[in-house]
Amino acid sequence: MRYRSIFDRGQGELEVKMTSMIDVVFLLLVFFIWTASFRVIEMSLPSSVSAVAGNQLPQDQAPPPEDDFDDVVIRIQWQNSTPSWQMNSVQVNSLEELRGRLGRIAKIKLDSRVILHPDPAVPLGDVIDVYDSARTIGFKKIHFAASEEI
Amino acid sequence: MATTIQQYRKSVTFNMTPMVDVVFLLIIFFLVSSHLAKQETQLEMDLPAADSGAELIDSADRLVVNVLTDGTVMLRGRTVPRGELRQRFTKHLEESGPDLEVRIRSDKSTPFQNVEPVLLRCAQAGIWNVKFAVYRTKDVR
Repeated sequence: MRYRSIFDRGQGELEVKMTSMIDVVFLLLVFFIWTASFRVIEMSLPSSVSAVAGNQLPQDQAPPPEDDFDDVVIRIQWQNSTPSWQMNSVQVNSLEELRGRLGRIAKIKLDSRVILHPDPAVPLGDVIDVYDSARTIGFKKIHFAASEEI
Repeated sequence: MATTIQQYRKSVTFNMTPMVDVVFLLIIFFLVSSHLAKQETQLEMDLPAADSGAELIDSADRLVVNVLTDGTVMLRGRTVPRGELRQRFTKHLEESGPDLEVRIRSDKSTPFQNVEPVLLRCAQAGIWNVKFAVYRTKDVR
């Protein structure tokens, strides 16, 4: 009888106390669920403006020869809810082609100025697409053209 | 006599566990609520996506300009008429000094004509540190 009681006591001490562990685990779970941010992280895209007078830009200019131009003027137009691009007054058919051309220019002269001139109706998303492409390629001077009369 | 003293001594010992529990809970609560409060201040928008975006650095001299799809401009959470933009920017520039950063948050479907005035007024006021809020392309697509 005496041995049995000791044996019983021994078994009782072996039991793992679950309550406190569950408490802690639950607390941690709640903490991580709360702190987990389900929002997408926002980034920053630096920009700069180039104030150009009125309607000088850019269509009436003849495209300069490829090897010695200084400014790359990209005009973004918005027709029938689709964007279209012009680089130094030359029509570009797709964003990929525009990237390709910019890449080729970057190889010749990386420090040339890229000036974006979007039409008023172009959604910001398409403007940022072009801007981002130029930045990814490595251009440092990318400007937005703005007319003074707004 | 000896036993009473011993009993007295025992009852004086503090049980720290519940206090630590409560303090810990309070710390977590304040951490989490401050984190959420920071998130709630942002206006929900479908920002454009970009690959070359840089991490957002905490800066005291940041002026957040929200441009809504209809062209409404909100400066620090308040609607500002377009005509007043330039003088507002000039005022903020005087207050914060040349390190002032203007962060433009706008929906990707906002026509450029609604964003352009903000860019132009920044340039006219002499603020050159203008940034666009974007999402990382891989987070969105």
